[in-house]
Amino acid sequence: MKRLEALEVIDRELGSYPLVVTCGATAREMDSLGRRNNRLPLLDSMGLTSAVGLGVALGTDGPVGVVDGDGSLLMGFSILPTLATLRPPNLTLVVLDNGQHASADSMPSQAAQLDLAAAIRGCGLHTVEVGDVAGLAAALAAAVRDDEFTTVVARIQPGNAAGIPFLLEDPVVFADRFVAALRGTQP
Amino acid sequence: MVKEAGPHLRALADGICDAGITTFCHVPSSHVAPVIRDLEARGLRAILANREEEAVGIVGGLRLAGVPAALVVQDNGFGNALTALSTFAIAYHVPLPIFANERGGLGEYNSMIQAISGNVPEILAAVRIRVERLGPSDPVAVWRVTARAAAELATIQRRPVVTLFAALHPALEVVA
Repeated sequence: MKRLEALEVIDRELGSYPLVVTCGATAREMDSLGRRNNRLPLLDSMGLTSAVGLGVALGTDGPVGVVDGDGSLLMGFSILPTLATLRPPNLTLVVLDNGQHASADSMPSQAAQLDLAAAIRGCGLHTVEVGDVAGLAAALAAAVRDDEFTTVVARIQPGNAAGIPFLLEDPVVFADRFVAALRGTQP
Repeated sequence: MVKEAGPHLRALADGICDAGITTFCHVPSSHVAPVIRDLEARGLRAILANREEEAVGIVGGLRLAGVPAALVVQDNGFGNALTALSTFAIAYHVPLPIFANERGGLGEYNSMIQAISGNVPEILAAVRIRVERLGPSDPVAVWRVTARAAAELATIQRRPVVTLFAALHPALEVVA
């Protein structure tokens, strides 16, 4: 499963909910699927995605999604015990694990050397592992339906999609749209 | 021994409540613990984070969702939090009231902490984060009003605003 294929599934299953997306190629590829105001790409805050998503989930009644990467999650690994402590039932964390920092010249991440899902599970988090499009779709649908904090670790192929443009807007543009979407108002 | 908040720290908590803060995220610190316990006792929701940048992310998400939230931390954690503060809170215009006790000044007992804490005002100034400071020469009433106003300013400006308070200063007990 390529990252872009995984993102298409995420957009289909979680696209109508607030979604916090990790930086680099992941944010760009997600944006290439069509812009949504309820999507917050973190353009340069590597390691912060799951923390921001946790805060949004704690402040929101409906479902909230986070799209993190193995590299980004490893940079902010301390969020896992915090998530395990708080367990917001409306939050679904998707970790796209390609075993590399694909946006950093495809340098290997330490996820290539460890069982990331087992590490997350070791923090006491309900964790589902998937390796294909159908499995990802089913896991996300179940996560939303079951109203339980769920982490979905999706194994994806290394590398980035070609020809995806940079996101050059001022980050506050994304923030304003996201806040307006959360409040049901126009940005 | 559990420390209780003296009049200055209680006034700080008063000001945080006056600003309508309902939720706060904190990182463990013995000297900010009295404030944390005081706020919890008043019914505010307390969220324990493991690192300061994690707290910036959580509170930032809460603020974007419309929850009046703040950080209560110690100033030696600003080194950890600087990238999160700059690339997220500042860049995305997130209102982020931060209340941090100062280390490295009078009353300090730790030889190395001033290496970071002594430079925090300059570090924050370098990324253009506004800093308000509270010490023993400020009356208790000023602690309360400043805490409230700093939280309100963060909301109005949609930026981080840091209140540094000298919780360790020995003169706090003299003037109380």
